[in-house]
Amino acid sequence: MASVPPGEWVPHVEAYVDVSRPAAQHSASVDALATLVNKDKLTLFDLVAKMDMYLTTTDHILRSRGILLLGELLSRISDKWLDVNTITTLSDFFISRLSDWPAIRGALVGCLALLHRKQGGGCIVIADVKRLVESFLQNVQVQSLAAADRKLCFQILSCILDRYPEVIKRMDGEQLYWICEAIDEEKDPECLKLSFHVVEVVMKLFPDPSGLAAQFASEFFEILSKYFPVYFTHGVADDLNATRDDLSKALMHAFCSTPYFEPFAIPLLLDKLSSSLPLAKVESLKYLDNCIRFYGADRMVKHASALWFKLKEVIFSLSSEQLLLTSGSPKDAEKNKNQMVSEALNCLKTAIVFIDSSDKDLFINLILFDGDIENKIHSILSAERSILSSVEDLAQVNALGSVISILAQSSTYSCTRVFQEHFTHLVDALGTSTDYESRQLNTCNGSSSTSVNYGALYLSVQMLSSCREVALASYADCSSIKLAKVSWWLILEKKLDRLIHLLGSLLTIASQSMHSVLRGEYVSCAVKGLLTLATFPEQCSPLPANAYEDILYMLTSVITSKFENIDLWRLSLKALTSIGSSIVEFNASQKEVIYCRTVVDNVVSLVESYDGSMPLSLRLEASYEVGTAGLNYMLRVARSLEGAVVTNISKANGRMEHVTQLFECYSSRVLPWLFTSGGINELALSFAMRLLDEIKYLTMLDRISSQGFLDSLMMGMKLLVGVCTEEQQTLIVQKAYSMVSSILPLPLKSTHHHLAVGDFVPSHSVQETSLVGMLSSVIIGLRPQTPVPDMLVMINLFTVFLLNGKLPAAYVLASIFNKYLHNTEFSHENQLDKILDDILERCFSTVLANSYSKDKSSGNILSKIDILSGLAWIGKGLLMRGDEKVKDISMFLLKCVCSDEALASEESYGNDSSDTSVAKSAAGAFHIMMSDSEVCLNKKFHARIKPLYKQRFFLILTPIFLSKIKEATSMTTKLALYRAFGHIISNAPVPAVVSEAHQILLVIVDSLAKLSVSLQDKDLVYSLLLVLSGMLMDEKGKECILDNIHITISVLTQLVSYPHMMVVRETALQCLVAFSTFPHSKVFPMRRKVLQAAIKALDDRKRAVRQEAVRCRQTWCANFAGRPF
Amino acid sequence: MTVGMINANPVVHERPERAAHPHAAAALDPLDVFDTVRDIKDPEHPYSLEQLSVLSQESISVDEKLGRIQYVCCMLTLYPRTPFLHLITFTPTVQHCSMATVIGLCLRLKLMQNFPPHFKVLLCFPASGILVIMTC
Repeated sequence: MASVPPGEWVPHVEAYVDVSRPAAQHSASVDALATLVNKDKLTLFDLVAKMDMYLTTTDHILRSRGILLLGELLSRISDKWLDVNTITTLSDFFISRLSDWPAIRGALVGCLALLHRKQGGGCIVIADVKRLVESFLQNVQVQSLAAADRKLCFQILSCILDRYPEVIKRMDGEQLYWICEAIDEEKDPECLKLSFHVVEVVMKLFPDPSGLAAQFASEFFEILSKYFPVYFTHGVADDLNATRDDLSKALMHAFCSTPYFEPFAIPLLLDKLSSSLPLAKVESLKYLDNCIRFYGADRMVKHASALWFKLKEVIFSLSSEQLLLTSGSPKDAEKNKNQMVSEALNCLKTAIVFIDSSDKDLFINLILFDGDIENKIHSILSAERSILSSVEDLAQVNALGSVISILAQSSTYSCTRVFQEHFTHLVDALGTSTDYESRQLNTCNGSSSTSVNYGALYLSVQMLSSCREVALASYADCSSIKLAKVSWWLILEKKLDRLIHLLGSLLTIASQSMHSVLRGEYVSCAVKGLLTLATFPEQCSPLPANAYEDILYMLTSVITSKFENIDLWRLSLKALTSIGSSIVEFNASQKEVIYCRTVVDNVVSLVESYDGSMPLSLRLEASYEVGTAGLNYMLRVARSLEGAVVTNISKANGRMEHVTQLFECYSSRVLPWLFTSGGINELALSFAMRLLDEIKYLTMLDRISSQGFLDSLMMGMKLLVGVCTEEQQTLIVQKAYSMVSSILPLPLKSTHHHLAVGDFVPSHSVQETSLVGMLSSVIIGLRPQTPVPDMLVMINLFTVFLLNGKLPAAYVLASIFNKYLHNTEFSHENQLDKILDDILERCFSTVLANSYSKDKSSGNILSKIDILSGLAWIGKGLLMRGDEKVKDISMFLLKCVCSDEALASEESYGNDSSDTSVAKSAAGAFHIMMSDSEVCLNKKFHARIKPLYKQRFFLILTPIFLSKIKEATSMTTKLALYRAFGHIISNAPVPAVVSEAHQILLVIVDSLAKLSVSLQDKDLVYSLLLVLSGMLMDEKGKECILDNIHITISVLTQLVSYPHMMVVRETALQCLVAFSTFPHSKVFPMRRKVLQAAIKALDDRKRAVRQEAVRCRQTWCANFAGRPF
Repeated sequence: MTVGMINANPVVHERPERAAHPHAAAALDPLDVFDTVRDIKDPEHPYSLEQLSVLSQESISVDEKLGRIQYVCCMLTLYPRTPFLHLITFTPTVQHCSMATVIGLCLRLKLMQNFPPHFKVLLCFPASGILVIMTC
């Protein structure tokens, strides 16, 4: 490789060494040199030889720059291969330079670069690392250096520790002491993060009890403990590489690095738990949690009781001292407290799990026989039918429940102990169900206001759920639980019946008016209890089958009869769903039978029944939710919905409004669920077939169409067909076709005959139209691969309907041409092309003929408008597949848009209303072509969609429209053109529009000004305004707007008082705010105008606009200071 | 020597949680006015007038009866009573709180910037015995 002459690169060296040059130039020259070296155009040897003077001079500044240059260069060629000699020489050099304190930065950078080099590219040898460490420890006094140098030192240390730990392992106490010194009193956050890491790794390097870590633990911990808890208020914006969380995490890892910290760390953390700072409490709980995991049971056992007492204080908020609130509302305080309690519970859980190993009675004795806990439980038991009086009580009961359940969950043994101690008493304290019923009567009489012992209820439900956890954990050997002489299982079994009936009677009581403030708590407790009992894994469930059925029956009866209490109803429904999914999860066949019999049958029968007392939406919700529990249930639900729909349609007195709801639930919720879980199979096929069977009678069709039900039926049919496979679709379409051909007198059997221009278009009855509508919805949903029988006949049929102005026919034709044009699987590909031409020609001529004929009946105009939108749909179908013919259609539509200009020259202005409406609907047709549709031509109905089709259409039409707009003379034509173009612009992707900003900005602005006059175009005005605001956000768009700033701002200030739509005013003001980032000199002249508009908007009718006006006014006043008015 | 503060130790109140405007109706109401002035900082302390309870929503009344006709003046009235009671309790020797005028000016400017010019602003300081009618 030819090397570059020194004359070219020496200036870079000189530039770098010169301190007076700017920093940007320095880094540029290093980059230039690094590129040369990386490309082998400059050898390191040459460079060092030339730099000789800079590296060795006695001038400190020059020398330090020179060494730094070499170091920086080395760090930038880390990927380049270097030979052993070079590496050794460089290491020698940098290691020796560590003693040169005025030039230490360069030496540090160089050492770090050497250490970072990868194995393959030539890296520093181990002996050199050893020498480096020795020299480093001997010469560098870390704490006397600047922050950036300290950071380099810590980086070097942690790099050595991570990559060459064997070097550090040979260190003696003195050297470790050096590390202590280096990190002592460190304050810079980034350095701290590194130094915590250093401590972590060092301590992990010496695990044996007589090692250095054990000796130095107290020294290191003394340094670390000063930083706990990490209090650090810099935000993200302060441009630091360290956040409080990072620091706290690094410190935590350092704390947990070695068990030798235990004697110092645990007392410190426990002490900090009594701190009045919420942050300190939360941090110590987190640290404790981690330390318990890492220090091991042997070391932690002696702290167990102290730990429990401290945690108890936090969990039950025993300490009376007020927490210092630095900031925030009572809500924040509440949040803090909740976080603390949950951290404390976590910590307790860890402690029980990790410390239990040596003595399994340790925590049981501590917690169960703790004086406070015993008192609390005693007070709950003794309080005669205690009514929950306050929120504090509730919190205490919750805390107690959590502690007990954490203890019980930890193992089978502790679960049994807890049950032995308390469960029986608690259930006894609840009383019996007969008690409730009698008392309920009293309540109804108004004589007494007794209530359930909530504390006992809550605790027993908590215990139930924890023994379920235990059962889940020991799922494999349940037999041992059942066979044990003393186990929770036996205790639970004894009280089971009573408990179930208690909970059940609570449901009935709660559903009646129970005037307790905390009714919700009782109800959710009872439901949770029942849910827990019902979701025990089958093998170790204490529940006999009949009790299980009882529980399901209780919950189901809530669903079927207690819907007026909506909270209870929702809870029960959720519980039933979870029970159902647990059956699927555990594969419990026996339970499944019971569940189907008790729950699914009952809930599904709700859908089928005609009972009017319960709202249909609730019935549908119940069946859908129960269905989500499992595939089989959903299939049941789907079948019953299907049945309900079909019977309602077929019955003469069926309720059509119900059918709409049922059908909607089926197609928008059940069908997608089944589709995602893959259980659709024959279901959609059979439903579609049944529907077709039903509608083959004309009376039926009559009823459907007369009650306005046709649309939802057609939509449902499309969705059903859409999810079917090709074979199934073939069956459906054949059936539909044969049905239609048997009913309709089809004069179109001759496949070669097409409707010629000028033929009489036969009109059809309402029933026939509905029938064809159903056929069209079948065809719209087809996949492109599905063959269609007698396609040409069908196309003819639909064309007739299209010419009659029936839109469903347009949808289906659009779908057919979108999917089947040029499809090689069909033999008639060429014919299809030709037929398309025919249809288009026929449509064009119909529209034009009407347009120029003198007699204009209103019916004609209406169908003409429908044909125009039909054309638009066909155009959309072609556009989406990227067919060239779309040009014909768009040109024709454009002609219609401009039609009244031609008319104006021929006729007087007297009766041009029809043509403006033609022009208007032609403009609207562009909206149809560009916007996405739910009705047809989308992914669900398997349309062919070419990527970026909107963008392409926009780019093709833009020049045409621009020239037409230029040519247009009359105002009405211009307006119509603006409308059409506006639809295209607002539906095209914003980046595409922005890239054309220089051409269309003025058109957009002018359209906004012109269209804002009439009420009808308000949506269009809004979408155009959104496009404009999109341009304002883009750099290129901004440039373009800057050139036309005067007119743009004028129009925006007009729109600020746009009377028809609030969001337009709001967006216009937001756009004006965005202008304030523009160059001062350009915007300043507009200030008066904008401020006047903003002041006017201060008096707007809508609050949102007023607020935006205030913002706009303040921005403009502040940025362009001057007189405020 | 530093000049002593008029009220060195004010009671700072919790700032209630801010939600969206509760009234769906778009008419101008006291809460709108309150929203614009609640964040004005006290001249002496880094707290807002709301936190020092110099202002409360109840002390604002808006007369919109005449507001529908744009050229008829409406009265936008602020009665910051509580504040000055409060200030006086803490500094009983100061009859006439010198900060009242500064706060009044702040309020006036803020209201002037945020409401259309045809509103008249009436600021009352009943405790200090002044009635200031500021017209913008």
